Parts: sequence; C-alpha cells; structure tokens
Amino acid sequence: MSKTLRLRIAGGTVYDPANGVDGVARDVCIEGDRVVAELPAGAPRLDVRGMVVMPGGVDIHAHIAGSSVNHARRLLPEEHAADPAPAPRLDGGAVARSGTGGTLPSTFATGYRYAGLGYTTVMEAAVAPLAARQAHAELDDTPIIDAGFFVLLGNDEYLLRQLAAGEAARARDYAAWLLGTTRAYAIKIVNPGGVAVWKGVGGGDRRNVSGLDDTLGSSVVTPRKILEVLAGVANALGLPHPVHIHCNNLGQPGNAATTLETMKALSGQRAHFTHLQFHSYGGAPGKGWASAAREVIEYVNGHPEVSVDVGQVMFGSATTVTADSPVEHLLYASSGRKWVNVDIELESGCGIVPYAYKEKAAVAALQWAVGLELFLLARDPWRVVLSTDHPNGGTFLSYPELIRLLMDRAHRDERLKGVNQKLLAGSALLDGLAREYTLGEIATITRAGPARLLGLKNKGHLGPGADADVTIYANEADRAKMFSTPRYTIKAGTLVVEDGQLRRAPAGRRLAVRPGYDAAVTRDVKRFFDQYACVAFENYGAEPVP
Amino acid sequence: MTDRTVANVTCLGCGCACDDIAVVVTRDRIAEARNACALGAAWFGDGSVPAETQVNGRSASLEQALTEAARLLTGAKRPLVYLAGDVSCETQREAVAIADRLHAAIDSLAATAAPAVLAAQRRGRAGATLGEIRQRADLVVFWAVDPSARYPRYASRYAVDPSGVAALQGRASRTLIAVDVGERRGPAEAHGRLAIAPADEVDSLEIMRAVVQERAAGADARFQPAIDLARRMTEARYAVIVADGEPGPIPADPARAEALVTLAQALNGPTRCALSTLRGGGNRSGADAVLTWQTGFPFAVDFARGYPSYQPRSDAAVLLGGGEVDAALVIGAPATLPEPVAAALAQVRSVAIGPRASAASFQPAVAVDTGAAGIHEGGTAFRMDDVPLPLRPSLDGARAALVTVRALRARLGA
Repeated sequence: MSKTLRLRIAGGTVYDPANGVDGVARDVCIEGDRVVAELPAGAPRLDVRGMVVMPGGVDIHAHIAGSSVNHARRLLPEEHAADPAPAPRLDGGAVARSGTGGTLPSTFATGYRYAGLGYTTVMEAAVAPLAARQAHAELDDTPIIDAGFFVLLGNDEYLLRQLAAGEAARARDYAAWLLGTTRAYAIKIVNPGGVAVWKGVGGGDRRNVSGLDDTLGSSVVTPRKILEVLAGVANALGLPHPVHIHCNNLGQPGNAATTLETMKALSGQRAHFTHLQFHSYGGAPGKGWASAAREVIEYVNGHPEVSVDVGQVMFGSATTVTADSPVEHLLYASSGRKWVNVDIELESGCGIVPYAYKEKAAVAALQWAVGLELFLLARDPWRVVLSTDHPNGGTFLSYPELIRLLMDRAHRDERLKGVNQKLLAGSALLDGLAREYTLGEIATITRAGPARLLGLKNKGHLGPGADADVTIYANEADRAKMFSTPRYTIKAGTLVVEDGQLRRAPAGRRLAVRPGYDAAVTRDVKRFFDQYACVAFENYGAEPVP
Repeated sequence: MTDRTVANVTCLGCGCACDDIAVVVTRDRIAEARNACALGAAWFGDGSVPAETQVNGRSASLEQALTEAARLLTGAKRPLVYLAGDVSCETQREAVAIADRLHAAIDSLAATAAPAVLAAQRRGRAGATLGEIRQRADLVVFWAVDPSARYPRYASRYAVDPSGVAALQGRASRTLIAVDVGERRGPAEAHGRLAIAPADEVDSLEIMRAVVQERAAGADARFQPAIDLARRMTEARYAVIVADGEPGPIPADPARAEALVTLAQALNGPTRCALSTLRGGGNRSGADAVLTWQTGFPFAVDFARGYPSYQPRSDAAVLLGGGEVDAALVIGAPATLPEPVAAALAQVRSVAIGPRASAASFQPAVAVDTGAAGIHEGGTAFRMDDVPLPLRPSLDGARAALVTVRALRARLGA
C-alpha cells in the first residue's frame, strides 16, 4: 500500500474524547490527509477489531531541536555510541536515515521514534530567537511529526526595556513581530527575570531571582510584571496557545509557594504552567524537601483558566537542558557532572547537565512521587497533560511506562515500595491513591487535551475534518507494552507504522503563527539592534532571505 | 545583471562571520566588500570562479561527471566524505545523507578544532555568544592569542570596542589582559600582560583554577603572575577568556583545552565567566552543527556499520594516511583543506564538488566547480559561537553547490 488516499479503519475500539467517544466499536474513515464521516462501501479497509484506536499523540512540551538541544547532543557522544539507530527499512526501498539515540537522539531518529510511539505532533519547548533558523533546519530534518516551537521571551533585553518604560503596546507589538519573524508557535517564559540576573542584569552579586517581586534594574521590572505582560500579550494577540510558563525557583525546596503565587498573579488569564512537578515542592532551602503536590493541584483543579503539563520524573538516564541557566549551575555545583552554559546575547541562556534519577535517591523518589500525585489528584484531565519535559525528567520513550503507572495501581504500588521513602512522609501517594486512569483519560492527557490547549483544531480528535493522524494499539493488559509498540501509526493519511514496524517516513509540517502588529515597532527594534546587537536586524529571525 | 550593492552580507573568511558587509557589484564582479577586513576582502575577491566540469582532467558534461562520480563512489569499499569550506549548511545536510547512504566515513574542517571539541565533550563548557561578551565583559583575558591575525574584526565587532548594555563605554569599560605563552602572544594593546613558559601553560591554568576554588595554589614564584591574574578574574563582574581553538605552530595539548574549560567553569562560582574559543571560517561550525544534529557527533563520524559511530582518533587525515580509504568525495572548496588532508587525498581517487574544485591540488578524478556559499549562493552558515546566519549571494551565474550535491545524492539513491 502506497500513500493512503482512502482507508476505513474498521471495527476498532475508538477513544476520541473530544467527540465524546469513549471506547466504542466504530469505524474511522480517512480520505487524503483528513478524517471523513464516511467512505463508500468498497473503500480499502484496515481491520483492527479488538484493537484500540486513538488520535495521534500530541506532545505539548519536549526538547527536540535547536541550539540548546544540539549543544546537549554534542556533549553526549557516549550516549550516542551506546544507542545506535540504523536506518529503518522502509516500504519499497525508500530512503531512510540512520542516527543515534540516547536521551537526545539525532533528528531523524527523533522523528522515527516519536512515530514509533504513536506520536504525530510535538512542540519544541524553548528556542532562543537568535537561533530560530537552526531550530527550523533541525525540524526540517526531523521526519514524520508535525512540529512547532515556543520562542523564549521572559528574559529578553528589548522586552524588559519596554516594561521599564511602561510601553505595554510596544511590548505586545514586539512579541507579535518576534513570533512571526522566528516562525514560532507560542510565547515561552523561562524563569522570568532569573536568566537575565544570571547574566548580570540589575548588577550586584545576585545570580538569580528568588521570587516574583525581585527587581531587575528598574523598580517596575519584576518577574511578576514579565508574567503579567506576556500572559496578557498572548491573550490579546489571540494566540492559539497561551503563554507557556516555566516558573521561578525550579527544583528548589519550598518552590510551591512561588508557583502558587505565580498562578494567582495571573488569575483569570489563560496560562499554561509547564513541568509542574519541578515546581511543586514543600520544605525550604537548606531545610529539606517535601511534597506540595496536593496544594498545587488543588489550585489548578479550582481554576479552569490554568492548564499544566506534569514533567514527570522517570527513573533512569536523563539530561537536564534548559534556558534556566542558574538552575543548571546549581546542579553542576552539586553533582560535579559535566556542564554547559551558554549566555545568549540580549535574549536568554542555556544550561545543560546530564543526570540520572535513581530509585534509592531521596530527592529523585520525591520528584517521582510528586509527579504521580499531580496526575492522580487532578480532577480535569483536559488541563493536566502527560509530559516528562523530555529529556529533563526522562525521555519520551518512557511515556509508555508512565502510562502504566497511571493505569495500573498494583504496578504503581509495587514500584512505590522500591523507592527511597525518606522524603515521602507528606505524599498523598502513601495514602493509597487508588485512582487508575482509564483509556479515555489517557487519550485525553496525551492527545485531546494537549491539542485543545495548543489550539490545534484539527489535532487530537477523529471527527470529520481532523488531520488523519491515528494510532492503533493492541489492547494488552501490560499498558507499557501496549503503548510502546503501536500496531499502526497513521500520519496525515500515510501509514507510517504497520504491524509494529516503521514503514514510511514522510516529512512533517511546521506549526507557526503570524500575528499582526503595528509596523512602527520594527523601526524601534532596528534602532536597538543598531546600537547593541551583533547580528544585523535584516539577518535576524528565520524568514527566508531573498 | 545591473551594478548594485548588496547589504548585510555574511562573510565566511573567518569564524567571526561578520554580517555587516556591503558588497558592491560592478559589471558582474565584486568591486568592493565594504566593512570587510583584509582577510574578508581576500575571501570575497572579485567573485570570479572557474566553471569547469572535468572527468580525469578533461572537460565533461555535468551528466558525465555525476555518472562517473556515482560509479567511483558506489564501487568503493571504504569511501570518505569530507566537508570542506565555503558551502552552506543546506549543502552539508545533503552531503551527510550521501555518507549515510554510502556507509562512508565523514569528516570536516571542524576537526581542526578537535582538542577544544573533545575537551568540551569531556567537561562541558562555560560559554557565551559573541554578542553577550560585547554586552557584559569587563575583563577580557587573551590567552596566548591575538585575534587580529586570524580573526581580524573580533575586537572591533565583539569582545572589545563596541559598547554593550553593561559596558556602555565599549573598550573603556573593559580591562584587557594579554597572556603570552612563548611565541603565542596576546594583543599588543593591553592593560596588563604576563608571560608564561609553554611548558608551564597547563600547570598555570590548573593553579589558577585552584585559586578560584580557594584551594591551595602552592608558593612557586614562577606561578605568581598567574595566581594574581586568577584573583583579578574573580573580582571581575563578567570575565572572558579568549583562546584559539584552531591549531597553531605548536601541536595542541588536549590537557590545555580541558584546563581552559574547567577554569572558565570554576570562575562561575565567585563571578561570571565565559570562554570564547576562536574557530576558523568557511562555515566549519555549520559542519559541526549539522553533523551533530544528524548523527549525534560533531566530526570524524563513520557510517561503516550502517549507523554513525564516532572515531575522533581516526579523523580524515588518519584514515587517508592509513591507506584504508579507496575513494573520497570532497564537498566544498579544496583550497580550504588542511594540508595533511589535501596531501593524502592525492593518493586516492576522488570527486570534488565546490568552489575551484578543478584547481584542487590533489587532482580529483571528477571535479565540478561551483560558486561559493555567501558569494554566489544563499543558505545558512554558523558563526564560531554557533549562531546561525543567512547568506546573501551578491553574484549569480555560477553553478550552485546545493543543486549539484542534490543531483549526486539522487544518483546515489540517497
């Protein structure tokens, strides 16, 4: 079968939460790259009776392309050597590429492995505008998946100057211009103000901000101000995805207070809080750690304008790679592992430390428990997305095991017994959280929910007009096994995984926005570039050059 | 085409990749490259390139050349692909695809900075993009290098002269220290300088790190100037160490590259510090980036097993020298090749596609001349600090490397 023009996916048990379909035996019909309501009786059929049918997976937050990811790849030759990825054998002898894996696979391997997991859409979560051109080139070399990226704005010098000057409209126009010129999908804030302070903004001996009301040079520029303005900008521009926030104080004991304060600061505004697990700790710096998952998720439960992804920690190898460079310095200083820091001119930062989460380590066990608590205490699966902050909490290849932890209480309790208990005293996990996610809920937190939160109207569901991105699993009792080896993955109408094997690897599409703005802002930005930047204004961004 | 001036052109004459060049074109020749340094002006030249297509030294059609190239490469047991200078990342991506298909070894000009790359793989790095150095550096230590020779506008565009958001007076906001290591001297214009014997270089860096980390540094008087420098660096607001990543007259000591990295990292305890590793031009940093994202490794990659493996101790020069390679494909300007690689290429059958391929010293069996990225052809190139920049061709008419390499790739079924 070459490119699927028409296909009736017949008789499977369909989970399509966006259309209220929860485990119903029915056909899904595809014509071209779209789902259609019906096909003529003679259309080709794929018999999937007894199998589970879901929309293609949607990853709302992962690190798969761009300068930071590539710095991390370069840092880890030993991981790549240990995980070779020969070219898959595609149908009809089509050309495929070899690569390497590890926590940061090469681009081609990234595309193949996501598709092999049944994921068809992935958002790269942090790209510095200066390196946007590179992120696009890497995504061009990442086959199959549709992909976009979030552009870093929370520590941007020009933006901070507009805040200091009270130029709210210009800040909005700047963000709109930047999204368009970098061909980005959403606005990302990483440790608002904290990365700027790490680089020296504000002067003094500080290396980070400690909370929402620290000032950065100007008394009116604070993390709170950055958050308020950019959340407002994303909503005012009508962006499909609200501002995507990595809060201050990531990974610090007691940071749940900052996280809650941040959520309250944006009360009533749509905002997405990413890798919430890393921001849900009780205790206090220097005085120990505890879980504060319950407090944090209860706030989320009660505030429908808030959405989150969990950023689950999974035991095993990981690589921490983030624009939150002060955090990485702390991790380097405490772990003694190799460390990359790159201060990115006028914009952002980059920090990388390879890491491993061990069951026997008290903090890692706490992090693992906090993530699971967030999942299990969440009341609205539409707003609590499955993620590991790949590769920070674990790689995307660990999603199937995470799904099993959520769906299989006996398995979870067994794993819980094996982890260090020292810091788990306040964890709801020890109270015997009995919840087991249903397949419908899994379809929500891995497909329908993230697609809706990203404003991807044609993704995450199987109604007529939806993109023909479909994943079909054998309905196995071992949910980790089931979700790690889909029987079929269909991307934009092409059968990419067939009988569990990758068979085709079409190029994916780019997801980007281009909001309108008052062109006057570009003249002011150009003046700023002429004064301080060392890249020409005309060469900035990722637009094709004539 | 009419006479014109093309603005904001990126120069690949060295790793600075200055993107403020205004190329003045008169009668289809480059009359001037405004803002360019002498090295840049030489890189642009007048933009004329030969347009030969040759098989075994005789003129041939492109069709014949590609057929012969495909025959030669597919018949090889141990092919080598080499990414030379002056091609875009887009062309490099095609070339890696060819190496993957051929199960070839692939290496690039990025290998010239192998000691620095390997040190960064062992230890990481404390770095910054060049523009951030401009914004923040108040103390710049030139470690055994004067950038004015090989990176002429490094000081005027990045690290020293221009003003930055936290260095409002430009040069006057900064203290410059020259460290002379034997004959490898820092810039003449410096506020302070110290001399270190080449044999003491690594020890000096290690002792400086000990000082920064408040460990015992010993009491040997000959290390006192280095100890004083380390103390001074800890008092800076944002210190920068500038070192050359490219080979000099003295063979590079891997321990030196590692000691520079770890010193810069350690300085991020008491203050902020970035190590700026100077790298050469021709978009070699692009080759490093492309190979890294496509294979996981920055240079010296071998696809012989059907997947990429890393052979940093068997780079192109070693492979060619060992007599193992029986055919080579050079993509890029042969004139940019390191001398040992160019010399060894003369011993094997080769295909060269790139600017002035027909003039290659190693006399390729198949030579296809193309234009140069950034002069005749657009695309993307990387600055030495891994910042991607667009290329703006100022001349047309030359055969495009990208299209040619794509055509070869198609012949090879890659």
